[in-house]
Amino acid sequence: MYWVANAFIFRRGDSPIHILDPRIKLLISIELFALSLISSTLIHIGISLAAIFTIAALAKILKRVYRTLMFSAGFSVLIFVINFLVGYSIITSFVLAVRFVAIVGSTSLFFLTTSPDELEYVLRWFKVPQDVVFAFVTAVRFVPVLMLDAIQIMDAQKSRGLELEKGNFINRIRKLAPILIPLVVTAVIRSSELAEAMEARAYGAVKKPTSLYTLTLKKRDKLVGIASIMLFTTLLLYFLNLTG
Amino acid sequence: MIEFNSVTYIHPAGVKALDDITVKFGQGELVAIVGANGAGKTTLVKHMNGLLKPTKGTVKVFGYDTTQQTVASLSRRVGVVFQNSDHQLFSDTVEHEVEFGLRNFGFSHEVVKQRVDWALRFFGLNEYATTSPMMLSGGEKKRLCLAAVLAWDPDVLVLDEPTVGQDLLNKEKLEQIIRLLLTQGKTVILVSHDIEFLWPMQPRTIVMSRGKIIADKPASKVFTDDSLLAEARLIKPQLVELAQRLNVGDGEVFDNIYTAKKWILDRFRCA
Ligand SMILES: Nc1ncnc2c1ncn2[C@@H]1O[C@H](COP(=O)(O)OP(=O)(O)OP(=O)(O)O)[C@@H](O)[C@H]1O
Ligand SMILES: [Mg+2]
Repeated sequence: MYWVANAFIFRRGDSPIHILDPRIKLLISIELFALSLISSTLIHIGISLAAIFTIAALAKILKRVYRTLMFSAGFSVLIFVINFLVGYSIITSFVLAVRFVAIVGSTSLFFLTTSPDELEYVLRWFKVPQDVVFAFVTAVRFVPVLMLDAIQIMDAQKSRGLELEKGNFINRIRKLAPILIPLVVTAVIRSSELAEAMEARAYGAVKKPTSLYTLTLKKRDKLVGIASIMLFTTLLLYFLNLTG
Repeated sequence: MIEFNSVTYIHPAGVKALDDITVKFGQGELVAIVGANGAGKTTLVKHMNGLLKPTKGTVKVFGYDTTQQTVASLSRRVGVVFQNSDHQLFSDTVEHEVEFGLRNFGFSHEVVKQRVDWALRFFGLNEYATTSPMMLSGGEKKRLCLAAVLAWDPDVLVLDEPTVGQDLLNKEKLEQIIRLLLTQGKTVILVSHDIEFLWPMQPRTIVMSRGKIIADKPASKVFTDDSLLAEARLIKPQLVELAQRLNVGDGEVFDNIYTAKKWILDRFRCA
């Protein structure tokens, strides 16, 4: 449980990546995503993964990205087996499986280095409607809260003699009720309380709320942005075999 | 019966929540654990039934090392009730909620029936036996959680913040229940910020700060020690304040309003 939370949830940091403008982080993440998506050989996928790990190392989240990737590797084994069974070669199946890991990695880089607040600014910058932004950002923000709830609920029920590891499959499913019901109940209670508290603080009173910060590209953001686009274009051309 | 031996616990996220804790809890004791938010009280409690295992050091419960035991087997003897009732209630009726633990521990049908009946009666919940736990008020939910644990008759009862959101009457009831359990030779461990609630029971008081135990002595010694109170961010019980303002002297304090009243009356008569 704890390690899942560790692998997916944003934690504040002051690395060279964390301090970038969130739009630049999004750009880098999308570039890595695109590169992973079009990787079709071992070398391509190797380069994509190396790029992902380099960014992760710069952001000092190597360990957590690694865990995310290990988590997704479970699914990629499935992808490998299926592709192999339907007749692809071992290497192609392998590339396809690793590609999935790389795609997950590139996406998680953004979420692991971007706070929910920054996410909110990015979405607003894209002119996403306020209510949608709020719903989305709140959901993201509440994932760790829900995880902590789940841990506490499991602790409480284990203290009442619930043994999750014991019994056959059907029995184990049945044992989820004491965990899931309180989890849903607390989530519902929390969200209705949140809604009331928001309204009590005049949420929705004006069409376009003002904000504490505005996004501005600093010099370093522009530099990193341009550099990343240049690198991306080069790799893209190489991957698509258009370099002549 | 519960022994912590140089226990250090580091959360997976890297926070050192317990720092070299050595402490013993004996049979029939009433112990209060106090300290600021984040001092490590809940973390300590979670070691008592094996929910958390020490990163360093050992925890022994009734002679067994907790790393060798399941949470269920430890919970049979050490009943822990956590603060948030909404985190535990899930059954369709109050009755079934109490039954849950008993069934997990494999009590026979007759015993389950008898114990559910006893627990509901004891906590004044029998009129709600067949209503949904979700319909109860906050205080009633809290009592239900207590009933659900006391039903299997553990030897040690650990309560994390039992008085939060409870009205005065329920707090008094809780105090009575605690005193009753003590007369039965049970050990009761209370984690609480509610000094006024703890004071009249005069518990052995363990003060925690930043993962360490900074004091372990009778309540009357803890709550008259100004520098200790400041360090642990605690305030004095009103009765201590009163005794000090009245210059009762000799470090004497009132443990309840009756001793206070007696002292004041005596003094008044003399004058
Ligand atoms: N799941 C967790 N992951 C990381 N750190 C945690 C976790 N749970 C608690 N902590 C940290 O461990 C420390 C002790 O927490 P604990 O819950 O034991 O405090 P407490 O004394 O019970 O506080 P309170 O009075 O607020 O209940 C705190 O610094 C807290 O931030
Ligand atoms: Mg606590």
